[in-house]
Amino acid sequence: MARLAAHGVAVDVPRGWEGRILRRAAINPAEQSRTVVHVASFPLPEARGDFGVGVTELMRSGDVFVSLFEYGPESLGQPMFAAQGVPHLTPELFSPRRLQRTLSGQVGCQLFFTANNRPFCLYIVIAGRIHVRTLAAELNAMLQRLDFAA
Amino acid sequence: MTALIAIETVVLVLLTIVVTGLLRSHGEILRRLHALGAGLDPDTAEQQPAELRPRGDLPRAGEGLGPAADIAGVGLRDDAVSIPVVGVPHRTLLAFLSSGCLTCRGFWEAFADPRALGLPADVRLVAVTKDAAEESLHALRDVAPPDLAVVMSTAAWEHYTVPGSPYFALVDGTEGRVVGEGTGASWQQVQSLLTHTTGDERAGSRFLNGAADTEARIDRELLVHGILPGDPRLYRAADELDRAH
Repeated sequence: MARLAAHGVAVDVPRGWEGRILRRAAINPAEQSRTVVHVASFPLPEARGDFGVGVTELMRSGDVFVSLFEYGPESLGQPMFAAQGVPHLTPELFSPRRLQRTLSGQVGCQLFFTANNRPFCLYIVIAGRIHVRTLAAELNAMLQRLDFAA
Repeated sequence: MTALIAIETVVLVLLTIVVTGLLRSHGEILRRLHALGAGLDPDTAEQQPAELRPRGDLPRAGEGLGPAADIAGVGLRDDAVSIPVVGVPHRTLLAFLSSGCLTCRGFWEAFADPRALGLPADVRLVAVTKDAAEESLHALRDVAPPDLAVVMSTAAWEHYTVPGSPYFALVDGTEGRVVGEGTGASWQQVQSLLTHTTGDERAGSRFLNGAADTEARIDRELLVHGILPGDPRLYRAADELDRAH
């Protein structure tokens, strides 16, 4: 298990999984990019979207992709981010309807929450519904050890 | 007049000493560059025999690479990176490079075209440089291809006891050990590392897949299932698909 920390987020990446914590370069001076965490049970391509464009197409049965995307302070207090703390995953949260990009055999979930006064979206894609229960347990173990700096 | 001649003689002797020193220094630099495989004559460099070897054929006494270890460090764009090489079903070719060495430049250029590398399907290429304190981040951003995984990690260099750049280590993720190591002046020489240490190409690569590859693969799969351009099934909404499941 590798401890990965940057930009005010720390995560224990499970053994054999890959992780990145990044901030995109701002396109214009007025823009302030936020933290994005990517964790996957398979090799991540360098060219990938925040929510898995370029990634989920490569997934095979049993693969999982996690994106933790931080929103700006303007989102604080909004109803969508009312949940406090990192959410706990259950198998019924996963559905093909919750994918940002529908690909055959994949299920996903998208959860919004606030942690340490920082608003986040947790987006997860799993290839193969049969693997959801096992992977959800593994993901919960990882999510419990997420740390957020203020 | 005598004094003038004496002064000129002294100056001449001093100049001779300086020039001799410069020539010796220049010769030493050329000799070391040649030893590193970065001689000035490109033809000579190409003809040098590869120094690559399967691990175990010629172990470095007391300096072997030892077991493999995952790569963790920072990327080139202010990101933290953790790339597993142990406990994974594929092999990883770790390319220890720097932004400054002349020989490395050829590898950075070669890595810009992953298809031309001819890597076996189950081999993932990861470039590893030293930390930002010992590297030029700006220079690395210039030379590193955007699709190449690059990790800055002096710790990895130390773990793999890398003698200098360029250097390559092939890690078998299933066995968790280094199965080949060495250096070379060109990508063709490094390829011999793979052919020495492995057998046939294994199917199912996802390391060379860019967006074009993905699109082509999806098109092929759709065609196999009789789904042609314009097929209404391509435009079904997510909830329709969910009901179908």
